[in-house]
Amino acid sequence: MRIKKEKISTEYKMKYSIWYHVLPFLSIGLLIAVWYLGSSSNPMIFPTPNTVLRRMIELSQNKLSGYTLIGHMGVSLLRVAVSLGLAIIIGVPLGVLIGWSRGVRATIGAVFECIRPIPMLAWIPLMVMWFGIGEKSKIIMIFMAALMPIVVNSYTGIKMISPLYLDVGKMFNASTEWQLLRSIVLPAALPTIFAGIRNATSMALMVVLAAEMIAARAGLGFLINRGMEVFDVSLVMSGMVAIGVTGALVAVLTNFIERKLCPWNRSI
Amino acid sequence: MADKVKIKVDHLTKRFGDLLVLDDISFEVKKGEFICVVGPTGCGKTTFLNLLTRIYQPSSGELYIDEEPADPKKHNISFAFQEPSAMPWLTVEENLEFGLKIKKIPKEERKKRVDRILKLLGMENLRNAYPKQLSVSEEQRVIIGRAFSTYPDLLLMDEPYGQMDIKMRFYLEDEVLKLWKEFGSTVIFITHNIEEAIYLAERVLILSNKPAKIKENLEINLSRPRDVTSEEFIELRKYVTDQIKWW
Repeated sequence: MRIKKEKISTEYKMKYSIWYHVLPFLSIGLLIAVWYLGSSSNPMIFPTPNTVLRRMIELSQNKLSGYTLIGHMGVSLLRVAVSLGLAIIIGVPLGVLIGWSRGVRATIGAVFECIRPIPMLAWIPLMVMWFGIGEKSKIIMIFMAALMPIVVNSYTGIKMISPLYLDVGKMFNASTEWQLLRSIVLPAALPTIFAGIRNATSMALMVVLAAEMIAARAGLGFLINRGMEVFDVSLVMSGMVAIGVTGALVAVLTNFIERKLCPWNRSI
Repeated sequence: MADKVKIKVDHLTKRFGDLLVLDDISFEVKKGEFICVVGPTGCGKTTFLNLLTRIYQPSSGELYIDEEPADPKKHNISFAFQEPSAMPWLTVEENLEFGLKIKKIPKEERKKRVDRILKLLGMENLRNAYPKQLSVSEEQRVIIGRAFSTYPDLLLMDEPYGQMDIKMRFYLEDEVLKLWKEFGSTVIFITHNIEEAIYLAERVLILSNKPAKIKENLEINLSRPRDVTSEEFIELRKYVTDQIKWW
């Protein structure tokens, strides 16, 4: 009887597991169906998925402002990658220091807490006035946006570590700060730090568009802005779809790296 | 050799301001002995343990290991916590290796010890599992194995099975005895469970109410494996229960 019950339960689980793989495709299909329905009344204002797809293929074959669609995606991605890389290199050690050392928390941490609530968009005019409209200001804007979640999550991750783990380290005579940091604090905080990097990636993708909309000759933000200027809705939507695809690809890459770096954090 | 004194607690007293918690405690532990400490709730068992680990400094008196004042930097003191304390980011194998790495034991020796413990615990097939993938009892076995892995001069255990149900406790008690026999470590095990104390110990220290003194130092001369339903066992359990009664 018990074996029969277990068999039924396994069958149910398998059935549900298949469903969970099918459901995302169904919801995307539903979104496209709604898009079709919504766009059929006035395709000039709201182009159909077909029109947008055709436009994307055309943009992939013919250059606009010197780049194909893939080229524009590459330009935006490069800006995100450089800024995000800098934000990780500076933000993780800074956050760890703020979380670990009371002295750093009381000094740099306090300054950071004052700056943190200022929304990124408020920095844009200042960045343009200080650094112009070239590449430098864009990189700094994206860097600033990515830095905040990385620092916040890094120091939160450090502060959240159970004192029990530190007691275990001390019990085995981990006497130096570096030994505690390396063997306990950093690995324990890594999943939280990584959650910050994931947030920073989304922020960076958001800000790269804003930065490219202000002044740029290439990038997905430029494409969207150009479409708006010439009232080319299919160009605007092509840029939007491209940024969606880019975001999804970046998310897949980030998840892959996270699974490699924090294998213990996978759900069972 | 077997009767060599490993640990000597000499007139240990601890006060917190005017509050006297431990009052002039003295006893000796032979090398490789398994001692259980029992006492009424709130009598100062944890304070006693924290003095042994040197988390607290005694108000007077001293703790000696091999005739020298105990020093965690010099002596190899290990501790098994009550709470699940396996590092979640390390596999079973890496958790067992954790203390050895900090103590800079050479790689070959580390591997040898970890393999030995995995084999003793019957956890070889779980060596690459993370604590999240283990049951509570499996995780607790890893913690106990980790504590033994450094071949400690003194292993302190603070109610490591306090949160377990009776079946799991019996199982883990046998595991700890297996490791203790294999490694010959000197163990001080704190528990509020009298049955557990009599099942495990070669000697039971019964503490009095606060300020805690050693009320009795009771040898347990039952043969192993011990039968908790035997007449002698039940008699001893009743006796110890009577000794810690404060009502």
